[in-house]
Amino acid sequence: MSALAAREVVAGYEPGLPIVKGASLSVAGGEIVALLGPNGAGKSTLAKAMAGLVPVASGAVLLQGSDITAVPAHLRLKRGLGFVPQTENVFANLTVRENLELAASLAGLDRRAAREEMFGFFPDLARLARLEAGRLSGGQRQMLAVARALLAKPAALMLDEPSAGLSPRYVAEVFAMLARVRQAGVAILLVEQNVKAALELADRAVVLVDGTVRLDEPARPLLGDPRLPALFLGAREHA
Amino acid sequence: MLQLVADGLIVGSVVSLGAVGLTLTYSLLRFANFGHGELLTWGAYLTLAFLGLLLAGAEMAPIGPFSFGWPLLAALMLALPATAAIALAVDWALFRRLARHGNAITLVIASFGAALALRNLVQFIWGTLPEYYTREIQIAIRLVPRDVLGGLRITPDQLLVLALTAAVVVLLHLFLSYSTLGRAMRATAMNPALARLAGADVAKVARATWVIGAALACIAGVFAGLTGQIRPMMGFDLLLPLFAAAILGGIGNVWGAVIGGLIVGLAESFTVPLLGAEYRAAGSFAVLIAILLIRPTGLFGARA
Amino acid sequence: MESALSYLAFFLVFASIFAIATLGLNLQWGATGLFNVGVAGFFSVGAYASAILTTPPDPERLGGFALPVAVGWLGAVVASGIVAWAVGAAALRLRHDYLAITTFGVAVVIQLVALNAQWITGGPFGRQSIPRPLVAEIGAGLLWNLFYLAVVLAILAALYWAFETLVRSPWGRVLRAIREDEGAAESLGKRAMAFRLQAFVLGCMAMGLAGALYAHFVGFVAPEDFLPILTFQIWVMLIIGGSGNNRGAILGAYAVWAIWSVSGGLLREIVPQAEQARAAALQVVLIGVLLAAILLLRPRGLIGEERVVSRHAGQG
Ligand SMILES: Nc1ncnc2c1ncn2[C@@H]1O[C@H](COP(=O)(O)OP(=O)(O)OP(=O)(O)O)[C@@H](O)[C@H]1O
Ligand SMILES: [Mg+2]
Repeated sequence: MSALAAREVVAGYEPGLPIVKGASLSVAGGEIVALLGPNGAGKSTLAKAMAGLVPVASGAVLLQGSDITAVPAHLRLKRGLGFVPQTENVFANLTVRENLELAASLAGLDRRAAREEMFGFFPDLARLARLEAGRLSGGQRQMLAVARALLAKPAALMLDEPSAGLSPRYVAEVFAMLARVRQAGVAILLVEQNVKAALELADRAVVLVDGTVRLDEPARPLLGDPRLPALFLGAREHA
Repeated sequence: MLQLVADGLIVGSVVSLGAVGLTLTYSLLRFANFGHGELLTWGAYLTLAFLGLLLAGAEMAPIGPFSFGWPLLAALMLALPATAAIALAVDWALFRRLARHGNAITLVIASFGAALALRNLVQFIWGTLPEYYTREIQIAIRLVPRDVLGGLRITPDQLLVLALTAAVVVLLHLFLSYSTLGRAMRATAMNPALARLAGADVAKVARATWVIGAALACIAGVFAGLTGQIRPMMGFDLLLPLFAAAILGGIGNVWGAVIGGLIVGLAESFTVPLLGAEYRAAGSFAVLIAILLIRPTGLFGARA
Repeated sequence: MESALSYLAFFLVFASIFAIATLGLNLQWGATGLFNVGVAGFFSVGAYASAILTTPPDPERLGGFALPVAVGWLGAVVASGIVAWAVGAAALRLRHDYLAITTFGVAVVIQLVALNAQWITGGPFGRQSIPRPLVAEIGAGLLWNLFYLAVVLAILAALYWAFETLVRSPWGRVLRAIREDEGAAESLGKRAMAFRLQAFVLGCMAMGLAGALYAHFVGFVAPEDFLPILTFQIWVMLIIGGSGNNRGAILGAYAVWAIWSVSGGLLREIVPQAEQARAAALQVVLIGVLLAAILLLRPRGLIGEERVVSRHAGQG
């Protein structure tokens, strides 16, 4: 049984205008699946649909085998699905500590204990606890956003381009952290533009082009596979 | 001079409390609510109505040096939820439905209409003549003799309004800083989608924001009635100062709205010797224009 | 018969004057997306400006300058245009709802001046003896009312034609692009601001002209003619007619003024004298509820916007 799965998901922002046109994928516990594809392919839209932020017109989102398609977005973290969106993924007007404690108490956890646990996992954050999140560096923000998504010990974690805009040193740090999270048995769906780095880290890769899945294979062998640039470029010529 | 400052701070307290509610709903619901002033009016009149019921014709025995007695506080406690109920009802009937498929500006028009309806409903029910919570005459205490900066006289009621405003603001600050609901309100104002991801039920947070904004408006309305008159236009006349204060402090910034309210109160107060009492409101307008020209994000606002 | 005709003439003059203001608001809101909550303010600037220019000299007040009525109307247009330019220059570059708040503030301040600046506006009593054009030649009464109605209708028709032409011109297309597409507005940069300002000033000039027409029909102006309820009425007219549509704006003005006059008349008939102030309040409540209902049920108004460009070009 996969920890997180999408079954023939059709989703979009306006009724009758699907962006994701029947996409299926699944991620097992302790597995990292890279979701790749050209710009505008619908990767973020699929992730947001699975998080409950974009309406799903048809199809289903499954978390540990149970259908969560109708579960409101604000209950999904508690149910075991964490999502780190691409931009504005921390509350800039709240301190680091408040960012964590808010999600913890909303998930019904003891906010002190949950916060301390995350500080144990991300010692950098402990140091920055009293800083407003708006003043963190890009890498520190990603840490905080991931920590917030991990608080409730989710079965699955989705990240939308966590490396975007980060210096190479931070990218390495973020990816190393994801490897650690995988160790804990969490299923990770990683949307990435940085194809090479993602394929090196991930177990499997799903390539989305124009809202449909065109490739779903083990990640490593895809490094240098000529089909990848063809899919990416083909879409660009198509557009 | 001192007297002008004191008068400005008293008006400013009312403006501060109103502006805090306005800034909260503005940042969370993302539209300029022209009906917020009417919540002050309704708060003041509902308190008056409950006071009438509680007293049932009897005299209100004043507490200590103040002009009013316990029944007024009891009436206020009843008026708080009633004012909140009005805000929730308007939101339910109008704003929530329009927000689903309208843009922010349709909401502004709707709030303008709702304001007019609410204000005229007050006129319909209570008439246009000014009312008072008590006819008790208060003797102003001389705090500073006349030869020091023009001296300072202040009534016990006015002092109480200042103190209670400070207390309410501190309580609100503690609520927003330490309670989960308060933090969820700040988080939702910043980024509603992310708030949902963090587990906040945004609809519930919005309702809480209306309740708190309306309760603060109710308190502000009663303070305005206590230090002045209760009139159908009282909230409408405060609307420009409220907006000026909220924008001055930066939309969404509670402390900013408090400071903004006090500054607006002082600006109005200092307009009196310059232009005459009838032009008080021009002081608010001057503050509004100045902040819009110089720093439209407000004194303490971070976001554009 | 004569009195019914007279009443109808009165009704049509007022409705047509409001229609002129509504056309101005439609240029701002319907065509450009500018939210003006100070309609009553610009209306009253026009009314007072024309009054000051055309009334006989008054030792206690500014003017009057006893100029011809046409000069007064021109002055009204210029005066409201200047005020609008100042307001727009300050507020138009900001978030759209800040324009709403600023125009609201302007209307409040204009109301303060109208009430208190005795030497300009005559204070609470207003300015009297505003000349009715050609009344000496035609004689007061129904005939003059009909004459004035013809003048107002001619102006309304001219304005309708002018605004229609404008909205369909390249200039109007740019306005719509600015309204519908933030990207287009941004790529125009400073010029988008200039376009918005032009639309805002032109719209306010129409409101000022309406104010002047009102003043010269009634013969006097006082602050209570320009309360915020006037702004609300013009807005209701536009929304009910359907913003973005000039014919709708005019139709809305006649429809709402009819509803307003008839309901007001009914209340005066039914409700005893002592209760009339309360009844008037109730009337406003009902109109407010009507507006809310229209916004909810028919957000595009009774007629709706003419689709000059399709919003979702190339669907599917
Ligand atoms: N909020 C929105 N409302 C309407 N359409 C949107 C919205 N967000 C994205 N889209 C459209 O959906 C399509 C897919 O966008 P999406 O962000 O899912 O692509 P993506 O694969 O994540 O691209 P990128 O690699 O650039 O992040 C695009 O055509 C985009 O214009
Ligand atoms: Mg994306």
